[in-house]
Formats: sequence, C-alpha cells, structure tokens
Amino acid sequence: MTRAIVAVVAALALVAGIGALFGHAPGDLLSILLGGSLDETILKTVPLLLTGLTIVVAFRAGVWNIGGEGQFIAGALAAFVAARFGIVAALAASVLAGAAWASIASLLRWWRNAPEVLTTILLNFIAINLLGWCVNGPLQEAGARYPQTEALSVALPARGEVHAGVVIAVAVCVAIWWLLYRTDEGLRLRATGFNPSAARFAGIDVDAQIFRAMAVSGGCAGLAGGIELLGVTHRLFERFAAGYGYSGIAVALLAQLHPLATLVSAFFFGALATGAGELQRSANISATVATLIQAVVILTMILFGRRSRA
Amino acid sequence: MTRLIIANVSKSFGPTRAVDDVSLDVQPGEIVGLVGENGAGKTTLMRIAAGELAADRGVVEAPSAIGFVHQHFVLVNAFTIAENLALAGAAASEIELPDESRLVADLSIGEKAKLELMKAISRHPSLLILDEPTSVLAPTEAAELFAVMRRLAARGTIIVFISHKIPEVLEVATRVVVMRGGKIVAEGGTAEEIASAMVERRRPDGWPRGVPPRIVAIVGVAGNGQSELAARLRREAKGRVAAIPEDRTRDGIIAEMTIAENLALKTKTSPEKLIAEYNIKAHSPKQKAGSLSGGNQQKLILARELDRHPDTIVASEPTRGLDAESTRFVHDRLRAAAANGAKVFLITSDLDEAFALGDAIQVIYRGRLSEPMTPEEAAARAGQLMAGL
Repeated sequence: MTRAIVAVVAALALVAGIGALFGHAPGDLLSILLGGSLDETILKTVPLLLTGLTIVVAFRAGVWNIGGEGQFIAGALAAFVAARFGIVAALAASVLAGAAWASIASLLRWWRNAPEVLTTILLNFIAINLLGWCVNGPLQEAGARYPQTEALSVALPARGEVHAGVVIAVAVCVAIWWLLYRTDEGLRLRATGFNPSAARFAGIDVDAQIFRAMAVSGGCAGLAGGIELLGVTHRLFERFAAGYGYSGIAVALLAQLHPLATLVSAFFFGALATGAGELQRSANISATVATLIQAVVILTMILFGRRSRA
Repeated sequence: MTRLIIANVSKSFGPTRAVDDVSLDVQPGEIVGLVGENGAGKTTLMRIAAGELAADRGVVEAPSAIGFVHQHFVLVNAFTIAENLALAGAAASEIELPDESRLVADLSIGEKAKLELMKAISRHPSLLILDEPTSVLAPTEAAELFAVMRRLAARGTIIVFISHKIPEVLEVATRVVVMRGGKIVAEGGTAEEIASAMVERRRPDGWPRGVPPRIVAIVGVAGNGQSELAARLRREAKGRVAAIPEDRTRDGIIAEMTIAENLALKTKTSPEKLIAEYNIKAHSPKQKAGSLSGGNQQKLILARELDRHPDTIVASEPTRGLDAESTRFVHDRLRAAAANGAKVFLITSDLDEAFALGDAIQVIYRGRLSEPMTPEEAAARAGQLMAGL
C-alpha cells in the first residue's frame, strides 16, 4: 500500500516538476491531468482493469505473461468474426480466443521449454501484424479506403457513452478475486507462483496449473479486446490495441497483484489517460505523458519491491 | 604456544541468549570435543573465539593463526581444487586429494569436506575449529580425519571439534565439553552422562519393531542418489502418498503463504486443530509459514502430509537441523503413522535415526541399495556399506 502511494506520488511529482521546467504551473497541470471527464475515464478503466487482471492472474501463478496486447487483439478479432451470431457469442469468442492465444505460449513451454516472457512478446507482434493484414485485406471495409473494418451492427447496450462492459469487467474482477482467494484452484495457483518446487511436492500438477492460469489470464485480455470493440470502437483498425495490454502491467504492479486493488489502480490509470488527452489539447503537452507516468510507477514499484523474489 | 582463553563471554541474538556467560581455557595440544544439541550455542561460541562475531560481554584471548572449517562449505564450485586452494592462499598440505585439476562441482561431499580441511590446515593454524565435520563423512573418511587431528594436536595445535555425535567425540577428543542452552553444563563423563547432560529429557527406547517392516530406513552418505530414490518411491507408490522433502524451505513449505493456506493445499481439517495437534508454535493460523522456526516448519509439513492418513510416506532427512524436542516429535509421528498402517520410507544420513526408527535398514551407496537388514545385522555392517566397503 505504502509502496503504491509512493509510486503514484513520485510519478505525479516528476510530471509536475518537468512541466514546471517548461513554464507550466504544476497545480494547473495536475488538475487537468486528474480532472478529465468521468465517462471517458470509465471507458478507459474497463480495458485497463481487464488487462490488469490478465497480469495479476499470470504473475500470481509465476508466469511472465507479457502478451496481454496480443491476447487483446486475438479477442477483438474473434469477437468481430463471431459478432454475426450476436453479442453473447462475440463476447464468448473473445474470451476463448484470448485464452487460446495465451495457450500457444503454454504449449511452446511444454514442447520446447520456451520461456513465456519471450514467446508472449513475440506472439504480440504476430497478433499485431495479423490484425494489420486483416484490416488491409479480408476484413477491410467496402470501398477499401481506410485500413479498417466496417462498423459492426451489434453493440453492447449503453447509457450515454458508458456501455455494459463496465458491469462485465467489475464482475470479472470480483470473480478473479474469488477464484484466487476463495477456491482450491486459486490456492494451488498461488502456491505454484510462490514456490513451484514446493507446490509439486504438495501434489500439485504444476504444468497443468500454469496452463490453466495462462488460459484464464489470456481470457481476460481477450475479453478486454472484445468489449473495446463491441462497446467503444465498433470496428477494427491497425492501432486498435493502443498499448492496453502493456499498460495492464503497470495497473497490476501498482495494485500489488491484488485483484480488487486492480480496480482502483485501473481507475487511476484510466483517469491519467483521459487527463493526458486533455493536456495535449489544452496545454499542448504530448499525451505520452501518461506512458511516462506508467513507466515511473513500474520502476518505483520495482525499486521499493520486496527482495525475496529476486 | 598460545592458549585459548574464553572468559565470561555472552552473546544474544534478539531475545535469544545464544551464549550465556561461558568460560573455557584450552591448552595447546588439546582436542576439545564441544558437544550439544542444535542451538546449544556451540557454533556461536566458536565464531566468537575465532573473531568472526563480537561478544556482547566477556574477553577472548586466542592465537592469531586460526583455521575454521564451517559446517557449510565455502568453496567456488566453478573452480578446480587447485584454484580453490590458491584462492585461500593455501600452501602444500599433509592431506591430499587426487587430481587437483578437477572442478569442485564434480567432487563428492566427502571430498569437498576434505578440501575445506586442506584450506584450513595449510596455513598451520595454532587453533583449528571444525564445525560438525563428520556429518557428511562416511565412517572411513571420519577415521582419516581423526588421524589428521591427532597428528596436528601432537604438534601443539589446539583443536575444537564441534559435534553432536557422542561416540566420535569420545573417540578423538582429549576433553569433552557439553553445552546446553548457551551454557557449559558438563565436562567429561561417560557416553550416557554426556547424553543426559545434552538433553534434558531422554527418549524412551524399546519401541516394538514391526513385522513385516512398516518403517524401512534407507541410510547413506548424502549425495549417493537419495533424491532420485525418493522421487522414484513417490512416483511408484500406490494410494495416497505423503512427501516430506529433504529441503524444507525449498520444497516443503510455501513461505509466503499462511499456515492455514499451506495446510489447505492437502487437507480440509481445520488449521486450528492441526496447529494444536502437531504442537506448532504460532500465534495464529494466518501467520506466514516462512516466519516459523525450522522445527515448526517441519511440524507444519508433517501436519499437512500426515493428516489424511497416507498409505505411503517418503520422508527425506526429516529431522535435519531440528532440536531434540522437534526430532522426538517427528519420530513419534512417523512411528504412529506406521502403527496406523502406513508404509514409511525413511531416507536419512543419520545412522542413529535409522536405528531409532527402522524395522528394516537398507544402505544406499552410489545409487545402489543393499539388501534389507535387521537392525542387528545393520549394526555390524551399515558403516562399511555406507563407505562402499
């Protein structure tokens, strides 16, 4: 908790300090950064929450799933294809596709002992390029003017800007907490993450455990992609994932890998992303400031991290 | 020749008083056997004597040239024997290892122990401290070590030999000092007297041995294929299997998880009940397992593994590093499990433990198991078999 607060304060202080160097009043800067519209913040919180949970589940099981980005895209692609069968089918397809994309890394580990930290990153590139090919080829809109798909005719029910994905994401968040802390499966998953060797002695099939954890983890990212498509963008385009998969790492680390804290942390980064856009419009400061803050948060969390797992 | 004089030395670690007002005066040429249970303060006292630790109170007067062979090896595995000796500034020594171009990583545990000894004595120390040097040695290797100790003592070297094995100490020491709870509680005496001075309570003997054997003790010097054997026994066992791993922090407990969570990995019995039943000293089931002492971690593992009445128990070095109380507890539990019908495989490097528990005893040497022996047969042959004779 203390670590998280230190990290956030350090990141904001850094931004304010750099802003001051360039002649912006730090107070104004921070109030713009944190005072973006609530609706937009909620919209940005939803994918961050789900990709944050992606990381929480994987890291808790001791697997370095850096592939949230690719799983997000896989989920969105599947949702787009399955959308003709209705919204429920599209969402289910997104979960399955995310899980399947993550399971490729598990299979590579199983066959060739390839580390997930590498394979998941490489799978991101494959997913990004697969999406690029789709929106320039088979899924491109009629008339082929832009590298994007047609808009879907189905969408998540919405009230104003805010769509029903919010409810789904929060429900998933609680479900992941329940899974990790209230079920035997979660107990075994965490045991595997803390100490795979002791977990094996305690009778846990560690390989199968990691396989399942990766599938759940990837499923969360896939769902994030599906909801983003069905609730916000309604169509696919090249830069669809927009770094949500990677931002999930910052979200999860700030939440110290706790599922319920991830809700708060995702909301914080959602607000930042919204504020950063505002900052770009009103103060002409690049929105990459949000990425900068994420990076500082991650570094601070690592800097003040426990040493036991080094 | 200088004496070793320890005068009224005390040392505490937090609330624990490891050494409590100890005085000791050793003449050149003496071989002092320093005996006591784990945690009696033997190693701490000697580290103070060697200047590795500062005493809280008291005075130490020791020779300047000190050789200290620690219980845990301080060797560079990626270096050869010769390189390790050079690193320690060691000159030619009277004990030798064949082929000094071999890597330390390839040496047996006995050879590593010997290398440590070579490092320690090559600089001609006036005080040589050996901390449990025989715990990893086969009986013949130990005899060789004792011969070296006697030769050094004859030249006036002071030798302090830390051990908890009374027969060995009686064999080689010219003087026996017994520590318990940080104090010197006795000097000299018969094996019986020393044993009773070391522990406050004595273990009941004459436990009825099972026929057919319920507890098979597999004894051998560490590194002779025990872990492979344990893995195979676990794999091939029928029914519910309980595993008590050799390295309890690496393979036994999940340190970051609570006592309750560690138990829940295998049993549904309430943690409060198991904590009481297995006498685990903890303030709450929500205490992290990693914060428990070694003995209590082992009790936690026993509780988790034995609660569901396993059909087979594979226990590797179940009492290593434990004090007398916890050791007795572990032994009682294993006996009780056997009495309830479990087949117990006890893999140990401690012959005393094998004799204390085994209905049948087998020796493992270089990956091969001897025929099962009765404890009577084993008493005559186990030592030789362990040394590969």
